Amino acid sequence: MAIRHRGFIRAIACGCIALLPAIAPAATKPPKLHATAIQIEAIDAGDVSIPAEFRLAIYERLIEKIRTDGEFQKIFRSGDKDAKGAPDLVVLRTTVSRFKQGNQLQRELTTVTGGTTVDVTTTVTAPDGKVVLTNDLSGKVRFFGENLGVTNDMAKRIAKMVFASYGTGTPH
Amino acid sequence: MKPGFQARSARASVLTILAIATLPALAAQTSSAPAPAADGSVAKVRHLIGLDNVKSQASGKLSVQSGALVFDTGKAQTKIPVASIDDIYLGTESTQSGGTAGRVVKTAAIAAPFETGKVLSLLMLTKVDVLTIQYRDPNGGLHGAILATPKGMAAGVRTQLIAAGAHASQLPEPPQKEGK
Repeated sequence: MAIRHRGFIRAIACGCIALLPAIAPAATKPPKLHATAIQIEAIDAGDVSIPAEFRLAIYERLIEKIRTDGEFQKIFRSGDKDAKGAPDLVVLRTTVSRFKQGNQLQRELTTVTGGTTVDVTTTVTAPDGKVVLTNDLSGKVRFFGENLGVTNDMAKRIAKMVFASYGTGTPH
Repeated sequence: MKPGFQARSARASVLTILAIATLPALAAQTSSAPAPAADGSVAKVRHLIGLDNVKSQASGKLSVQSGALVFDTGKAQTKIPVASIDDIYLGTESTQSGGTAGRVVKTAAIAAPFETGKVLSLLMLTKVDVLTIQYRDPNGGLHGAILATPKGMAAGVRTQLIAAGAHASQLPEPPQKEGK
């Protein structure tokens, strides 16, 4: 009786393992979104005190990265008049929720303190105003490099999130 | 003490000595902070990001002439019309001196025993001014050009730009350490 019971459990376990490859892609890969144009809005500091160079560096690096990834035919900057004519334009908005400016010397001497961190909330809005994508992301510079290096990390993460939803293939 | 450890330690010590020996040369590269020229231009300005047709980390001369902010690397020249400038911000950043050579020396010093290579961090960091120009292209698109100038030079460029007709809001209070 016990032997038959054990065999039954083993059969179920084998069945589950065999089904895993079929279930896994469906669970991890959400359906891809489509748009030919994107407008990248200026980084909104909200009520967080963040120096202008950090805001504008994230904005510029983000444009650069999304342009390099190549998932959109047209990329418009914030305020670009031509964006109004784009048929299926999505708008990427980034709002800073937390900023901590570290210290490069402290970082390099201690390796555990002095990191610079920036947390943001990004949303992608469809032409009808519906939010199609929202995410909380965090950028850091922990060991070597200037504090402004955090803008590169942040832009990379935002671009990766956008690419995961709109891109095909691998990002450049 | 194991012979292998001794050899590693000796190699690391040699690296540290080499690194420290090159410091005066590196310091000479960076300590010659240029004063503004008679025409108000500032040399040894590093482009961080935001200028079209200029690579990141390119070094050049910054000047205000004929109603435009001009960044000249010697190979390429970029102009931002003063009338298109929305705002000018000043900031500071600490950066590693010595350029590529400095980076190589610092990387080599990581191998130094008992983390003595960290002393290089103390010696090789310099402060620079960060000049941020927020401007619009003819289509109304927002741009941000970020430049690192030798310490104490960015304020002069800002004054020149305002005198030439650029729009700039009042300088904000120094940023807090942490914002929430």
